[in-house]
Amino acid sequence: MRQFLEFFLFELKFRFKSISTYVYFALWLIFSFLCVASENFGGVATGNGKVLVNGPWANISNDISASFFGIIIIGAIFGTSILRDFQRDTTQIIFTKPISKFAYLGGRWLGSFVATVVVFFGLIPGEMLGTLAPWADHTRIAHAPLIWYFWPFFSIIVVQIFFLGSLFFLVAALSRRVFVVYLQGAAVFALYLFYAGAFLSTRSLNRFWPGIFDPVGILLSDGLSRYWTVVDKNTLLFSWSPHVARGLFLYNRLVWCGFGVLTLAALWILFPMSLEALTARASSRRAKLAAEQDEDITPVRSLVVARTPLVHHLFGPATTWAQYWSLTRMRMRNIVRDIPFWVLLILMAGLACSNGRFAGKLEGENVWPVTYLMLQAVEGIAILFFYIIAAFYAAELVWRERDTRFEGIHDALPIGEATDWLSKFTALCFVELVVLAVAGLCGVFMQAIQGYYHFELLQYFKELYVVTFPQILVYALLAMFVQTVVSNKFLGHGIVIGVFVLQPILYNFGWENTLYLFGQIPPYTYSDMNGYGHFVLPLFWSITYWLSIAAFLGVLSIGLARRGAEDSLVVRLRGLRHNLRSIAPALAVCLLVAIGSGVWFYYNAHVLNEYLTAKDRRDIQANYERDFKKYEHVPEPKIISVDASIDIYPERRSFSGKGHFVLQNKTPHPISAIHVTNGRQSVSHVVFDRPFHVVSSSPRALYSIYALDKPLAPGETMNMNFDVGYTSRGFKDGNERAELAYNGTFFDSDYFPSLGYSAGEEITDPRRRREEHLGPQELLPPRGDALGSVTNLFTTDSDWIHYTTTVSTSADQIALAPGYLQKDWIANGRHYFTYDMGQVQTLDFYAYVSGNYQVTRDTYQGVTGPIAIEVYHLPEHSFDVSDMIAASKAGLAFYEKAYSPYQFRQYRIIEFPRYRTFAQSFPNTVPFSEAIGFIERMEKPTDIDFTYFVTAHELAHQWWGHQLIGGRVAGSNMMAETLAEYSALMTMQHRYGAANMHKFLRYELDRYLRGRGAEVRREEPLAQVQQEDYVWYQKGGQVMYTLADYIGEDKVDLALHNFLMQYRYANASDAQSGPYPDTRELVAALRAQTPADLQYYIDDNFENIVLYDNKAVSATVTPTADRKYKVTLVVEAHKVKSDGSGNESPMHLHDLVDIGVLTGPRDAEKPLYLKKEWISDGQQTFTITVDQMPTRAGIDPFNKLIDRNEDDNEIDVVKK
Amino acid sequence: MALTISGLSKTYPNGVKALRNVSLSIGSNMFGLLGPNGAGKSTLMRTLATLQDPDSGSVDLDGLDVLAKKMEVRKVLGYLPQEFGVYPRVSALDMLLHLAVLKGITKTKERKEVVNALLHQTNLWDVRKKSLATYSGGMKQRFGIAQALLGNPKLIIVDEPTAGLDPAERNRFLNLLSSIADNVTVILSTHIVDDVRELCPRMAIMANGAVLVESSPAEALGAIHGRMWSKVISGDEELKALESSQQVVSTHLIGGQQEVRVYAESSPGEGFRASESELEDVYFLSLARHANN
Repeated sequence: MRQFLEFFLFELKFRFKSISTYVYFALWLIFSFLCVASENFGGVATGNGKVLVNGPWANISNDISASFFGIIIIGAIFGTSILRDFQRDTTQIIFTKPISKFAYLGGRWLGSFVATVVVFFGLIPGEMLGTLAPWADHTRIAHAPLIWYFWPFFSIIVVQIFFLGSLFFLVAALSRRVFVVYLQGAAVFALYLFYAGAFLSTRSLNRFWPGIFDPVGILLSDGLSRYWTVVDKNTLLFSWSPHVARGLFLYNRLVWCGFGVLTLAALWILFPMSLEALTARASSRRAKLAAEQDEDITPVRSLVVARTPLVHHLFGPATTWAQYWSLTRMRMRNIVRDIPFWVLLILMAGLACSNGRFAGKLEGENVWPVTYLMLQAVEGIAILFFYIIAAFYAAELVWRERDTRFEGIHDALPIGEATDWLSKFTALCFVELVVLAVAGLCGVFMQAIQGYYHFELLQYFKELYVVTFPQILVYALLAMFVQTVVSNKFLGHGIVIGVFVLQPILYNFGWENTLYLFGQIPPYTYSDMNGYGHFVLPLFWSITYWLSIAAFLGVLSIGLARRGAEDSLVVRLRGLRHNLRSIAPALAVCLLVAIGSGVWFYYNAHVLNEYLTAKDRRDIQANYERDFKKYEHVPEPKIISVDASIDIYPERRSFSGKGHFVLQNKTPHPISAIHVTNGRQSVSHVVFDRPFHVVSSSPRALYSIYALDKPLAPGETMNMNFDVGYTSRGFKDGNERAELAYNGTFFDSDYFPSLGYSAGEEITDPRRRREEHLGPQELLPPRGDALGSVTNLFTTDSDWIHYTTTVSTSADQIALAPGYLQKDWIANGRHYFTYDMGQVQTLDFYAYVSGNYQVTRDTYQGVTGPIAIEVYHLPEHSFDVSDMIAASKAGLAFYEKAYSPYQFRQYRIIEFPRYRTFAQSFPNTVPFSEAIGFIERMEKPTDIDFTYFVTAHELAHQWWGHQLIGGRVAGSNMMAETLAEYSALMTMQHRYGAANMHKFLRYELDRYLRGRGAEVRREEPLAQVQQEDYVWYQKGGQVMYTLADYIGEDKVDLALHNFLMQYRYANASDAQSGPYPDTRELVAALRAQTPADLQYYIDDNFENIVLYDNKAVSATVTPTADRKYKVTLVVEAHKVKSDGSGNESPMHLHDLVDIGVLTGPRDAEKPLYLKKEWISDGQQTFTITVDQMPTRAGIDPFNKLIDRNEDDNEIDVVKK
Repeated sequence: MALTISGLSKTYPNGVKALRNVSLSIGSNMFGLLGPNGAGKSTLMRTLATLQDPDSGSVDLDGLDVLAKKMEVRKVLGYLPQEFGVYPRVSALDMLLHLAVLKGITKTKERKEVVNALLHQTNLWDVRKKSLATYSGGMKQRFGIAQALLGNPKLIIVDEPTAGLDPAERNRFLNLLSSIADNVTVILSTHIVDDVRELCPRMAIMANGAVLVESSPAEALGAIHGRMWSKVISGDEELKALESSQQVVSTHLIGGQQEVRVYAESSPGEGFRASESELEDVYFLSLARHANN
């Protein structure tokens, strides 16, 4: 025991004498301090603005992050403690003393454990201090009980230190190799990244087993708190109960504590306590060599000294080159023959391949692994390795001679500092080129594996070697410089990592300028339509800028190179003055290029274009709201007709044009002031057809007020003319307008003036509103609001319009806008098109699109005549075109039959670049992002046909949004989105069958539950929905789908038909604004078709927030005499009502719920028996006889109801 | 070839005076530098090998300013540091070929010949393809010698070259060194007096950063010729008595008995017999005189 204490105390003393211990402690202190004190740091603070930053969930999340990044620190402390004796050759002293195994291993282990716990303990004071920071968001800081700090620390961090530390200790004790210890932390870190990434990137719905085996806790936390609402996150810690989430937390901790105990047992058994065994490898190697030599040495050597042959020394450029090449080869060989290089390479290749397997796959959707997706997947993970290798080998190369103590010989050789430095740099470049090539090959390989043979090697080359490689070099050069300057390799690593980590942090804090964020380049997106497009210039100049700065540092490192015995920085700085003469030209060139490219970048990003940070842009939004919100309810005329001629210049990413509005006063009072919002700063020269003058115009002309000398009388119309356009100049530092592209221009009517105040410009994030001192955002008024009811939900300044336009573009492109093509012609080398909507009135919502398209056409025979279906797409993206056409036809057939005739003669789908990822329904025109359609791939019948769904959804908007428009009141949004979602779900069900909907519905449910967990304001019931898209899409779709299942699809369709026929085209004909429908009318129409005993379903799902907790308790089967199977199923059900924040109260349950007995494997079940039964609170038993041996049984097995624990509804059937 | 060192002084930042006004002139032959640990030998050697600068003084190699024209010196330099390591996972053959390129031996054939010859001479031929990292201390030292002799250097600086060599290899190395020392300046630092006695026409003894003696071994021996006396003594008491009355140069054990060597103009007393003077006596005497001053 005395010995044990001796080793233990020695270890502690050693640790607390070491500066690294204090650095680690400070690191955690600062980390958790920032997590609490800053709104721009860490996942919790930057996320949901209602979750407490020092609440239980926040502390758990911060501790899990610390566990993740802390893997390396745990490795560093535990690994080195056992290695120390072998490294410093103290083994001979220690193991010749009479010490016990327990004292030696136990003391070292416990010392490391205590030291590590103390180091991580920095998290707690950090969190506590964070709450005291005066600048912190104090609305999100609670007076927290101590358990909120200590519970996560002990149950997550200390447990992890125990088992991971033991593992690292074991590996170090058995391998006794420096590089194993050096790398094992990083290896576990990378493996975990791979493990978590594989599950997270696919958004798999299976979260139990991945959670059980998650050593760090990212998946574990996801499995436990994925659906936690704000209230949950602010009150709950993870539960140890075996009944919560199937005991996930308890079993996870048991598994890993067990693992820790096993490692310690293995250590005890496997560690040999004798010097001979411990040093066996090294001594046997030497003995072998000596033996070989002994054999060979026997012939007696002559004692006559042979003369060394005379040689010639030549020094000149050729020799310098030969020296450079020989040094480079030697250095490359040094790296490549080293095991860590291969470990890193194989690890990277493994991760890249496994990531590549899921390239682009998301939430059950399967897409073709096109090159940009594959690069994203492969490079996304490999980039970390590129940087690690750059930093690691830069240090190794700079320190190689000193580390191997070869410097005495090396430094006295007749080689120039520049030659030596360049050879190091070249070796590093070589290593990076190899690693990049391997990453690229992994991508090509994974494409081939997945049957995609369109290898775009040039794109791989551009991305990896032209865009990424220089960025890596910037860090490599920085690392070489830092390692040259500092006196300790690890200090150098710390500085380089610090610089690397600092950049995104600074960016988050609003320091966004590429010119001072080291090595930063503006964000860019590759698009199949556009290649690197307009990002080429900012990339080129920013890369040139940083590369020349890095090269400057590189040349400086030549001047500061260590040479000789005296290598203190002071001495070398003195030497620099001496060396300056030779390196000055190179320094000057680098400096000139840096200044030149920097000035050019600055001129483009700050002079040609206005430079705005995210905060600046929020300030503009906030000022707009502060200054002009007061005009929101000032009566304005409505736009009743739009005519515009637009010239698009795709090659200049610009457009210009003239617009003409007809305005009508639909109010009972004269209007004398016209308020114009110009949110895109694209409108100028506004004139009216009567005398007027400008009353005021805000900075940037965002909001202008014009006074009419003669007011516009009620019912009277007036012409308004204006110039519209946008000219791209040079390039920007990020924030390029995605609307304008060389191929795939797509901008919409928000570039045109709108009348009056536009609430769409307001900041919605409550956290940002608080920052701007804005107060809570004004909600949509309640249903029945006098003004809201007569205002169009989508376009407050217009009800319906007549629309015609002429648009031109470059000769090789097609330009589109809503309406029927009247004529197209070529003039002045440009391609002109005229579109006209004819007599059909539409929403004041139109878009202009231009691109190089291949057009695939088809026709559908509609009820009122043929309907042209056209898909405008990239020639290479023809994968999904027929699917889109099929969905359009199926949708048209269904909607015309169920709802009403289609109001147009055409339906067009137009591809646009993936800078934006949505599809949007304009009248008979749907711009569709290349990111969410066009490359889908259906391999298995269970693959979700997302393209089909989106196409049907956007088509349905031609009814729900373009025929039926709600008033600007609470709930109206769902009449567009929920009904489009429902229409698309049914179109999909008609195509793929009810059984194949289960997977899709589970993803919908998952998104809804996650959405409400992330709610930053409050969740509203479906019929009162405000801005909650997860309610109007996912919840709404599911609620309607299930309603159709409960009362019959025909009943729901009939209700929608009745509702639509009564309220469509509201306000289309009157000269005075009348009311639009709202959800009261919709709900009434649905109620009319719903039997009395199911009215509760409408109450629960439309008017309230209600959640089920259905669960299968047990299911047993016994074969019967007549070769049938009798299943005894016990189920348990509860129902709760939730308020907007997530506070739940139990409800009385007497509901109709599916009871099912199923066959087939999990997630691909087919029903043998499915019947709705009335279920009450608590447990209920059902006895069901089926013809076939069942596999699974349960309550609501197809997840039709909203259930927070949706994966316990079914259970395996067991034989009795 | 002649190397002229004049007035070299060096004080380290921690205050240690490593060189105090050292002046030596070294011709085209072997020059031995003797001195105890910490005498400043290695500092002097490193300075001559262009690895560090003195605070003052100058070094001239046949008209070449060693301190200013470092690169020119390195072209003709062969240097074996007192302590050195090797790159891992590189064989002696590869490393020597590599170093030969760096030393400007650009003709492939010459390079191979010279490397092969050196590998034979240093008895590393059989293990030339083995990784240097697996070499024992003596093998590594031989590798160090081989690289220092690569390509007919005009100035060879070897710091403690015989440390770690077995007697056979030591002899072999000394023979090798003397065979190439024609018209080449070789500076050999050591604390083994025999190395110098066997090899060097000229020598210097250093202590505490200063040169105590600069001469040839023969001259040095001549200076004390007939003044060395030895006696087998009975014990510490007698030694103590002698130390207070005579200049005791050294004591040796011979067959378990202590023999004391004393420097004196004439026989110091009863029991003493005249003894042949040895270089070691010169060395100890110089150190002792220096310590007394």
